[in-house]
Amino acid sequence: MSNVANEFSLLEETLLIEKPEKTEPLGILFWICVGWIGVNVLAAILANVLPMKNPLFEDYNAINVGPGLHHLFGTDDLGRDIFSRVVFGSRVSIAVGVGAMVIGFGVGAPLGMLAAYKRGRFDTVLTTFMYVLLAFPAIIATIAVLSFWTPRALLKIIVVIGLASVPLVYRVIRTATLNVATKDYIIAAKVQGATDRRILIKELLPNIAPIGVSFLLIGIATVITLEGALAFLGLSVNPPTPSWGNMINEARTVLAQNPWLVIFPSLALCLFLLCLNFIGDRLRTHFDVTEVKL
Amino acid sequence: MSESEKLLVVKDLATTFATAGGLVPAVGGVSFDLERNETLGIVGESGSGKTVLSRTIMGLQPRANVTVTGSARVNGFEVVGASEKEKRQIWGTEVAMVFQDPMTSLNPVMRIGKQIDEALRVRMGMNRAAARARAIELLELVGIPSPAQRYDAYPGQLSGGMRQRVVIATALACSPKLLMADEPTTGLDVTIQAQILNLLDELKDRLKMSVILVTHDLGVVATRTSRIVVMYAGRIVETGSTREVFYHHRMPYTRALLESSPKVSNHPHTRLATIPGRPPNLLKLAQGCSFAPRCAYATDRCHQERPELQPAAEPGHSFACWNPLPTTRGVAAP
Repeated sequence: MSNVANEFSLLEETLLIEKPEKTEPLGILFWICVGWIGVNVLAAILANVLPMKNPLFEDYNAINVGPGLHHLFGTDDLGRDIFSRVVFGSRVSIAVGVGAMVIGFGVGAPLGMLAAYKRGRFDTVLTTFMYVLLAFPAIIATIAVLSFWTPRALLKIIVVIGLASVPLVYRVIRTATLNVATKDYIIAAKVQGATDRRILIKELLPNIAPIGVSFLLIGIATVITLEGALAFLGLSVNPPTPSWGNMINEARTVLAQNPWLVIFPSLALCLFLLCLNFIGDRLRTHFDVTEVKL
Repeated sequence: MSESEKLLVVKDLATTFATAGGLVPAVGGVSFDLERNETLGIVGESGSGKTVLSRTIMGLQPRANVTVTGSARVNGFEVVGASEKEKRQIWGTEVAMVFQDPMTSLNPVMRIGKQIDEALRVRMGMNRAAARARAIELLELVGIPSPAQRYDAYPGQLSGGMRQRVVIATALACSPKLLMADEPTTGLDVTIQAQILNLLDELKDRLKMSVILVTHDLGVVATRTSRIVVMYAGRIVETGSTREVFYHHRMPYTRALLESSPKVSNHPHTRLATIPGRPPNLLKLAQGCSFAPRCAYATDRCHQERPELQPAAEPGHSFACWNPLPTTRGVAAP
């Protein structure tokens, strides 16, 4: 034992936080949100096997029925059950949200990290290119591509929105990495002989992960609204396949007469996005180990 | 001792930054060497090039637009001109670095034990259990109480002094022969400073390594180094054994630096001596001695001709000055 250690006062030792594992709970609201997202995702996956009405079946004996016992959310002007359409519609929305973000992060995040870590010409060229793309409104680009890339299919929508989100993800991840990459501990890792790949994965990634995760969740929410906007313009999946966006779009003409046609898909969309945003925000503060919690 | 046996040989090392304003010679031709198991102090005020010098010796180029000339051989390995891949061979095992601010030199989201055994597993090829045991051993070596429990702590849960001990432990992981400590105590309070410096001193002897202490604080180097290099405007202005530099310095800048550090023996309310003027703008270095504009002894020659290092009375002691202070050799040292 080093004799220097003996110089240590007891005070310093007591100042160390004894149980590093003890973290504050995430809170009930967080778990409610997680539960709601879980219910939505499960319902979307299991929609086919759940005892629900066919979302495409047109029941001419029950046209424009208000919300009630038989039709929980009512029916539309073709007699289709709104509840089952909202559930089936979540499939498109969630698939687009998650799928597009997987593409966006899959391409944008590694490029952003690499550019911020490598700097130099690679960074300059790539960043300039991305900023040029950013200057071009994503919605116009997606509208243009989707108008000509027919017939429309879910996969195409996911790919187009995913690619359109690449510069956004790139910018966020690059900035976050830039903050970390200049820190002494990155240089310290380097002079201990760590390879670039190791530094990127072991040192940089955990530091930017909290930002990445919250941006991912907020990104999913944003993409779902974007899909809604595209559907509103009639550029999402072809009717009669329901999505939250195209349901709102189709029903807006009869908003005054049958408000439930708009209210229920809007409510589903709103709650889903709210929960995603809240989870993202809560996770970011929760996993911030850099602040000592007193 | 022949040159090849020396741990570090630096010859005419120069680091020049190309900026928008022109070329900045942050280090302008520096030569010195370091024996094994020796502690060398590099002293100078802010902007004197001491940090750039230490990073150049490490082979860390801050960014593009840097030209490094001359030579720096660490245990026979030429750092200047080596690729990153080649330098990775000596990083950690030959040279390691302790950084100034322990708050930023540890990864905040990685457990401290992991930060130490990363290097052990990657560089030394240890398995998980062996690396863990060695990391705990290292934590104990640097004086961390109950190291096995601290292994799982995050840097945010440790005090500044503790963190600097962890930083030292990480640097020591692969048993480097040269430890470069760049202002290792600047971010710490005075009592912890002494502890950390004593620790470095003790580790130096125990692990048979050499240490370079880079600092602006003469108090730090006074009792813990065997030799001192005094830098000004990117050049060495005086070098010699610590005792010579402290008691028989010839360069007016060294004296000014010594006089401007507070002493316990001073009467209360003594005004602290300062060096008039500011460090020179490296973009517009005069052709003469860089210190001339601030020097009380400056003559016309000082402004026109740059003095080279010349040997003083004691072997190993040299200074760069046209009008050196009168020698105090023969006068009893206090």
